[in-house]
Amino acid sequence: MNARAGIEAEWEPAAEKAKERKLWRKIVGQRYLQMMALLGVAWMIVFNYIPMYGVIIAFKEFDIIHSISSAPWVGLDHFKEFLEDDSLGYVIKNTLGMSILKLVIGFPLPILFALLLNEIRSIVFKKWIQTISYLPHFLSWVILGGILATWLADVGIVNKVLMALQLIDQPITYLAEPKYFWSIVVTSDIWKEIGWSAIIYLAAISSVSPELYEAATIDGAGRMQKMWNITLPSIKGTISILFILAVSGILNSNFDQILVLRNSLNETSSNVIDVYVYNVGLAESRYSYAAAVGLIKNVIALALLLGANSITKRLNNTSLF
Amino acid sequence: MYSFKRQSASSAIFEMFNSLLMLIVCFVTLYPIWYVIVNAFNDGADAMRGGIYWWPRQFSLDSFQAVFRSEGIMTAMGVTVAKTLIGTPVHVFFTAMVAYAFSRKELVGRKLYMFIGTVTMFFGGGLIPYYLLIRDLHLLDNFLVYILPAAFSFFDLIIFLSFFREIPPGLEEAAKIDGANDFKIFYKVIIPVSMPVVATIALFHGVYQWNDYFTGMIFINDTNLQPIQTYLYRVVAQSSSNQMLASMPSGMAVTVTSQSLKLATMVVTTAPIVFVYPFLQKYFVKGFMIGSIKE
Amino acid sequence: MSKARRLMTSMVALTVVFTMALSLAGCSGGKSETNGGSTAATSGSTDAKNTSSTGGGEAKPNPDEPGWKSDNAPITFDWYMNFSWFNKKWGGDATAEYVTKKTGVSINFIVPAGNENEKLNTMIASGKLPDFITLGWSEEAVKKMIEGKLVLPLNELADQYDPYFFKVADPAKLGWYTQPDGNIYGYPNASSSPEDYKKYGSNFTSNQTFEVRKDMYEAIGSPDMSTPEGFLNALKLAKEKFPEVNGQPLIPLGLHEFSETGNYSLEGYLQNFLAIPQQKDGKLYDRRLDPEYITWLKTFRKANEMGLLSKDIFIDKRPQMEEKIAQGRYFAMLYQRSDFDAQNMSLYQKDPNSAYMAINGPANSKKDAPTLSGPGISGWTLTLISKDVKDKKRAIEFLTYLISEEGNKDLFLGEKGVTYDNIDGKDQFLPDVVKLLNTDRTAFDQKYGASYTYWMLMDTNMNLQWAPPGVDPQKQMADWTKGKSISMSEFDNLDPPSTSEEGIAGSKNARNWGKLLPKLLLAKSDAEFDEMWNNYVEDRNKNKQDKIDAYRQKAYEENIKKLEALNK
Repeated sequence: MNARAGIEAEWEPAAEKAKERKLWRKIVGQRYLQMMALLGVAWMIVFNYIPMYGVIIAFKEFDIIHSISSAPWVGLDHFKEFLEDDSLGYVIKNTLGMSILKLVIGFPLPILFALLLNEIRSIVFKKWIQTISYLPHFLSWVILGGILATWLADVGIVNKVLMALQLIDQPITYLAEPKYFWSIVVTSDIWKEIGWSAIIYLAAISSVSPELYEAATIDGAGRMQKMWNITLPSIKGTISILFILAVSGILNSNFDQILVLRNSLNETSSNVIDVYVYNVGLAESRYSYAAAVGLIKNVIALALLLGANSITKRLNNTSLF
Repeated sequence: MYSFKRQSASSAIFEMFNSLLMLIVCFVTLYPIWYVIVNAFNDGADAMRGGIYWWPRQFSLDSFQAVFRSEGIMTAMGVTVAKTLIGTPVHVFFTAMVAYAFSRKELVGRKLYMFIGTVTMFFGGGLIPYYLLIRDLHLLDNFLVYILPAAFSFFDLIIFLSFFREIPPGLEEAAKIDGANDFKIFYKVIIPVSMPVVATIALFHGVYQWNDYFTGMIFINDTNLQPIQTYLYRVVAQSSSNQMLASMPSGMAVTVTSQSLKLATMVVTTAPIVFVYPFLQKYFVKGFMIGSIKE
Repeated sequence: MSKARRLMTSMVALTVVFTMALSLAGCSGGKSETNGGSTAATSGSTDAKNTSSTGGGEAKPNPDEPGWKSDNAPITFDWYMNFSWFNKKWGGDATAEYVTKKTGVSINFIVPAGNENEKLNTMIASGKLPDFITLGWSEEAVKKMIEGKLVLPLNELADQYDPYFFKVADPAKLGWYTQPDGNIYGYPNASSSPEDYKKYGSNFTSNQTFEVRKDMYEAIGSPDMSTPEGFLNALKLAKEKFPEVNGQPLIPLGLHEFSETGNYSLEGYLQNFLAIPQQKDGKLYDRRLDPEYITWLKTFRKANEMGLLSKDIFIDKRPQMEEKIAQGRYFAMLYQRSDFDAQNMSLYQKDPNSAYMAINGPANSKKDAPTLSGPGISGWTLTLISKDVKDKKRAIEFLTYLISEEGNKDLFLGEKGVTYDNIDGKDQFLPDVVKLLNTDRTAFDQKYGASYTYWMLMDTNMNLQWAPPGVDPQKQMADWTKGKSISMSEFDNLDPPSTSEEGIAGSKNARNWGKLLPKLLLAKSDAEFDEMWNNYVEDRNKNKQDKIDAYRQKAYEENIKKLEALNK
């Protein structure tokens, strides 16, 4: 027994050493690859990890004239304050409500748009549509908010059109009614970003090998069938990745957009986490509080990312990692 | 089994509806832009009365003249053009390079590297430690602050990854047999077949560089290094500065820019980047490179 | 096992990268944390630099001789303006070039094109500020910069380099801004001391006016609007007589924008019109609980019930309001007059009768005259000198120049013969210059740069002697406020710091008020109003209102002490 144990004990380091040597040889063999990867890692260490110690202000009472290290610890006080805030309920409801609507409606539409655009035969027409549809992305929300406020007013163009079509018989001040707020946000977001979001899908579609289409044509497949059976599966990977990222961003809102559209009357349906953090934390220079809420948000976002990742992995074998 | 005729008929109907739909999308997205433009070309005081929907009521170039009259606007435009032209290739090349390395399954430590990257998407130290870092790197009031901290993004890396995965492995193997090293494979083989995603990220990052005012605001004090977005922000800020209502001396009010001037500023500051897209478009419309090179 | 090994190797690789990165970050990378300590170190080194640059000036400076005259070698100061809308650069105009020629000083203005506080707080946290800093006196950053020893005491600078400073500085303003440590760190602009009130008080104006559209008001018979009944009745008459303006519904009453924390028009503004005191027998008085004030809030509620409040006023932000003012869509407004100067001017130019004019607004039941917010000793902004300033001597000398009568005149009128001259025995702008001033302010700023283009240290009282006469429609409004404007300095800066216990509770109460206020106006009945009101007061009291009040009372008493010292 003892002898065997001794042999094993001697044997194992040797095997380990051999493995180690093999690994080193492997690393040396892929030195170019390692170098390329480590440059990226180095960048992340410098620009992301070195300043990351700032996270600890979430557990401290940080004041700009004292350094982070000398700020007093307050433990979980900021987290408690956030979780006990009486507006938390509707703030979360609004955040999730709008994000889920954006996910359910706003996520698939650019895909559909890209697929349909891809079916346009005339190259010139296609190019024009592409260029035009991405233009609204460049309007900044501050200015767009002003335009929307004019259009959605009781005497605005939206009411004029709807009255002319006899869809409504009384002008509605849309921004004054909490019940319209979510739809205004989601619709205007889709409208502004549909062309822009479609770009990445168009890029994915253009990477699909034309041979696949040729083969399908020979098999007698129609356009719809090709779209459904070739194009869509080919861009499945891109869709999954973007979906995973979108899911993890569910607690984020478009701050600029909400800020320009919200007002004293629609407050109950327009207050979202980001606006809340701005008003309670940043506007009052309470960096610690803002950091604590940010930390909660990010932990949840990471969990959502990992969750969505494992689900898509199981469903269609694509994942981030 | 479909008959040929039936298929082409349904195809024609599809084509018609599709084109119609696209025209509607075009109209809906183009109209607001048109609205911005006609209002920018209208006399400012008159535009304030509202109701300009299709055509300027009192055509005037005053707003545009006022924009170009702003001090230092040409320098700022130069800074923005420079940071976009330099920052974009650096970002695309660097991020793509790292992404390519991360995409190779045999990379030792790959899982760890990915983990390191994923964390960066969610956890940051906030503005103040970041500012101290930038200061210690001597990037304050330095043009490189537009380039180096923006040279990489893990988010974009993920997008690159998803495209690199679709590249048939045969391509790399062929190059390897020819004795090329991994870096050479990356820029000689991978980049050329990945033009659609390269163009996409270039566009995303180019637009980011163009629109980013935050870096200039926080890290740059030298007026000659301020980007063009500064101007847009300023005309917009005038209308939202409600601070100090009571203590501002009477008569010393912030003169607020007319809506026309704001719109004209927006047109001037965004038009150049808008026109980039048509040039990148060829990569989206005819990608097909993977297939063609494979032969 | 092998997995762990592989992890180990990559960890090793990582450490290598990490050290690489650290060395890349430079020697200071590790130190970035010890912010407090390094601050002291850097200030030491700049001290050394400063003395060397001003070295040689060993001879005691002459207190009767302006220091800025002694040296006009070119120097450029970085000057931080905490106002994102400030868009002038130094130079390119007659005034700045004249000043540079005279003093040798050029300025590189640093203006954040974004959230001002974010920029300023970041700079404060980094421990290094530009040479000069100008910001609103009530900003919390003022306290932070002093507390963090990031700014230099002006009195010490003056003692050491330029005693002439004390000749031109107003002792009252210095006294008001003296900190507990006996030092003065900032000098205000647009500030008016009690002495100034005695001298110029009858000319002092306020921005707070109640305006009506002249033609409409006269068409309904110029009724009295100072009582709740008269007010409601006038709004009603106006709405009946002018249901529409150019095809769009009339908005009977306009107000400032509703914000997260309330509405300017419906708080201090209205309380000033009602002449509600801010203190009684040395104790701060809660104006919000005053019955007169509540009566008027209920009047506004009644107005809404009668359909006289448009929804627009609850949702519009400043750009929309400006658009509607330009269209003349409001009948009456409680709106700061300088905020719609441009719009009113364009209405006036089209038809003087369609412009807005100031009339007597809401008053209390005893018909007391309003006590509007006039200029105060706090002024508008405060200018401070950074501890990292390039050249201490030149900085204090330039500051002295700017607050002196000569400096004020140069910056207000520009260069003699170029922008102004002695006309009819009075120094005033040349006709062309006035014309441009009244027609195109932007062009004026760029060409001449006079008349408050560079307002950092303007003395608004001193400048009265050179100012061109006012013109209608602004003049009518400004004149209306004369004799009704009072100083409220003793109530300045009472709020607790935002990160303190009282500050956190205070801003929460403020946000609750911001949510309550529109609901009060929209309440269906006075009973509903009362119920909401009582709930609010109860919540407020539960949330440390007593502590907040105690803090404010203490700060108020300190202010009083300071003011009394000034009056001696």
